[in-house]
Parts: sequence; structure tokens; C-alpha cells
Amino acid sequence: MIQVLANGIIAGAIYALVASGFSLVYSTARFVHFAHGATVAAGAYFLYFLSMQLGASFWPSAVVAVAFAAAVGIAMNAFVYKPLRCRNASSLVLLMAGFAMLVLVEAALLIAFGADIKTFNAIRVEKGMEIAGAVITPLQVSIIATAAALLLGLHLFMKRTRLGKTMRAVACNKTLAEARGIDVEKTHTYAFAVSSAIAGVAGVLIGLEQGLEPTMGANLVIKSFTGTVIGGIGSVPGAVLGSLLVGMAENVGAWFLPSGYKDAVAFVLLFAFLLFKPDGLLGINRGVNK
Amino acid sequence: MIEAYFTHLLILICIYLTLAISLQLSMGFTGLFNLGHIAFYAIGAYASALAALAGWPFLAAFAAAGATAAIAGWILSLPTARLKGDYLALATLGFFFVVNAVALNWNDVTKGALGLPGIPKPEIMGVSFADNTAFLGLAALTAAACFLAVRRIAKTPFGNVLQAVRDDELAARSLGKDATKAKATALCASALFAGLAGSLYAHYITFIDPFTFNIGELITVLAMVIIGGLASLEGTVLAVVVLVLLPEPLRFIGMPSSIVGPARQAIYAAILLLILARRPRGFGGRVEAQ
Repeated sequence: MIQVLANGIIAGAIYALVASGFSLVYSTARFVHFAHGATVAAGAYFLYFLSMQLGASFWPSAVVAVAFAAAVGIAMNAFVYKPLRCRNASSLVLLMAGFAMLVLVEAALLIAFGADIKTFNAIRVEKGMEIAGAVITPLQVSIIATAAALLLGLHLFMKRTRLGKTMRAVACNKTLAEARGIDVEKTHTYAFAVSSAIAGVAGVLIGLEQGLEPTMGANLVIKSFTGTVIGGIGSVPGAVLGSLLVGMAENVGAWFLPSGYKDAVAFVLLFAFLLFKPDGLLGINRGVNK
Repeated sequence: MIEAYFTHLLILICIYLTLAISLQLSMGFTGLFNLGHIAFYAIGAYASALAALAGWPFLAAFAAAGATAAIAGWILSLPTARLKGDYLALATLGFFFVVNAVALNWNDVTKGALGLPGIPKPEIMGVSFADNTAFLGLAALTAAACFLAVRRIAKTPFGNVLQAVRDDELAARSLGKDATKAKATALCASALFAGLAGSLYAHYITFIDPFTFNIGELITVLAMVIIGGLASLEGTVLAVVVLVLLPEPLRFIGMPSSIVGPARQAIYAAILLLILARRPRGFGGRVEAQ
């Protein structure tokens, strides 16, 4: 049982990375950035391309891949979302555009790399160590540590720095922020850059732990959206908490159900929260009854 | 040979017409941002295939497909009645993933990833539709019935209620209209026709598996509805014909079939993005995508 919880925390840590960026964009720009999953996949596959196909060494490539993911996010915002926002398109149009980008990136990856699962052999598979009755590999420990460090960093960034405050101001009230001289579009660009870079890190970690699939993005978006809703939409700490719960619930669910139903557990949770507690655990209710 | 190919394309057009026009009923006329439509298509296909494999006559299996999908639509309408916008979109998408997970994992019934082979070709009162030309007649009849039914519904007072709910739910409610019931009925009817389309597909291809009903199909039918224009049936017909025929030349330039599939989806996604950016009303839409 402790093993199940440990697996849940590892899965949850990765979801939390994706969900925090997702929640950051949702809170500042007020729409579901569906293509966030595509950013994760694009970053991970770029790393695969650099390190496995061009033969570049792994860790420098990983840094480049994270930067690439940030660039992908910024480009999505600049070339697709921003023109739509300028036309006053509703959040649903933005969601649909994001969905189309997700499918576009998935199809492109499928054509370029094929449908089979890709793995990096950068890290030697090491024997797991036993911590409190659960077997955990050093890689998994570093995944949790990386996620925790990044999320703590993001939290401090949002609370302490000027840019973080600007983002929170835009999230809280866009019109007022604009009246105070904050460049809202620029803030959106920063939000996309930060969240997409974190997505890139998530992509690298997923690549190391589970391998890459062209369709990895869609699943991640749904899971992280579920985590975000459970934690309370618009709240980054909530998104982290919710994602951990999703990861746990999936692995506990897989304990009782055939493992194939693992993915369905998150959606059942999503329905349950939308029905009974739409404002989530920590969140402020926005959108449901709007 | 070339005739057989055209008959095949026409059958595909008829199946997609049924699917896209039924989505117009919930998305275009009622304003429900329904990303779960492919789930109803899958439910219809599985219901019909299982019934036919159990020895039911085609008409009974066809009816069962519509009924099962309609019931699924009603069930989905219960938890999503209060949801709007992003939440509805993600919840219905979650429904799609749950249905997919069940199709993939309920091995005793759906045979999981192996799929269901050997679905019999339709036979109604001794008349066989195994020949594609005859099948085209059946598919065309279904598509026409769906088109006429949706057009009829749109013109009835009930159709006006649906469109009022789409344009301003609060106003519709304040005039004493039961918006919740109207939305549930629209979703049911929309699911019913999607189920019939699924049944046609299953009996035409004679094989279904969970991977047939993927997120790429979803973007295909979404693209058809948006490009045709929300609440525009004539536009949808045009969009379906164009979108089914558009990727066909790819087959003739010698592209391997493993690439044609993703290339098709990439084209649809790209066109959808372009339409959202440049011409949000589509070919003949009266309502802007919102």
C-alpha cells in the first residue's frame, strides 16, 4: 500500500508541474490553454531529437529542450492566442484553437517520429532503494525533488518578485491592472514563457521515467485540468495539491480496478468535483455559474 | 474500380454528415460546447456491433445503437446540466475518455484492444446491403433523415427555445422556459443520431476497435461543424464534402497509409485554426463561435 502511495506521489509530482503552468495561464489569461500538453510533448521530443538522433550530450540538450518548450509556448501565444484575443474571441474559441494546436502537434510528432514509445538511455537504470517499505529508484527521487524545488521556486516567484506580483494583479483584475499601467499582453507572454518552461521540465522528466508517445499531451492536459479543478481553479498551490490527489487516486484506483481503468479514475474525480464542489479545495469559484 | 472508390467516399460523406449534423443540434443550435460527441458515436458502434454479433437483426441493432447512445446522452446531461463554457467542454471531453477507457478495458464484452471483427453487413427483411451501392442508399437515407429531423427541430417552438437558451439562458429562463430540460433533450437527440452514425460505420467497415474513436475523429467532426458554421446545416453539408475529399489526393502521391491518417488530422486542425482566426462564422454560420 505504501508502494501505491509512493507511485501516486511520483505521478502526482509530474502532473503538478504541468498543472501549475496550466493554472498560471488560466489565472492570468482566463482560458483553458489546451495546447499546454503539446508544449510538454514538443519539449520532450526535441530533447529526443537532440540527444538520441543528433547525438548531443544529454544534460545540455535537456536545457536547450526546456528553452525550446518556452519558445513553443511563447509562439503559441503570439501567433494564435493573441490575434484571437485581439478580436475579442471568447475563451471557448481559445480553447478550441488550443485543442486544434494539440492535435496538430500530435500529428506532426507522429509523422516525424512514428507511433512507438521512445526512451532515452541517458540514465542507467539503477536498482531501487527501499524507503519505508516502498521501492523507489533514484530517478524517481530526483523527479520528486525537481518538482518540489521548481514548484517552491514558482511560489516564491509569484509572491516575492515584481513580475510575479504583476501576474497576480492581472489574474485578479485585468482592467484595474491595465489602468495602473501594467502591460497585460506582455504579462501574458511572461506567463506563457514561465509555464511552458516548467512544461518542458515536465516533458524531460516524463521522457526519463515513462518514455515518449506522440499522444502524451492530451492525457496530461486532462489530468492537470482535473488537478486544477480539484485544487481550485486559479490557485497555483491548489493545482499542485489537486494534482497530487489525482496521482494518488489513480494509483489507489489501479490497486482495486484493472490497471487500464487508471486513466478513467481522474475523470470520475473531475465529475465528482464539478458536481459537488466546483470551486475546489482551495479555489475561488469562478466560471461555473457565471 | 474507380466507381467503387467513389461509392466508398460517398458512404464516408454520409456517415460524417449524420455525425456532424447531429453535433450541430447540440453545439450549433443549443450552444452546448460538446466535446464528447465521438463517445456517442463509439457507443452506437459498439452497441450495434454487439447486438448484431449476438444475432439480432440489423434494424434491431440499429435501433439499439440509437437508443443506447441517447440514454448515454441523457446520463451525461445529468452531471453537466449546471456547467458552462470551459467546464462543460472539459467535462464532456472527460466523458469521451471514460468511454474510451471502458471500450479498451471491458475485455469480456468489447474484447478490449483486439476490437470486434466480423460485424455482419446489414440485411433488412431479406434484402442484403452487403453491396456498397446498396449500403450507400442506406447511409444516404440516414443522413437525409438526420438533416431533415434537425432542420425540423430547429423550426419548431422547441427549436426556438434551444436557440434562446444558446443566446441568453437567463432570459430564456426568466420567460419560464425549462432550459435544463431543453438542453438535456437536445443532447439526447444529438447523441441518438451520433449513435446511428456509429452503427452505420460498424456495419460498413465490419470491424471496430477503441482506437477507431480517437481524438483525431473528434477534431474532424469539430472542424466540420465550425467550418460549416454553427447552426448552419447547408454550410455543414458543404464542409463535410470538402473535408472528406480534401485529404484524398494524399493517397495518390504515394504517401504510406501510416502517414495519411496523421496528415489528415494535421490538415483538419490547421484548417480549423485558420477558420477560427480568419472567418469565425464558417461557410454559412449565423452565429459566431463563442
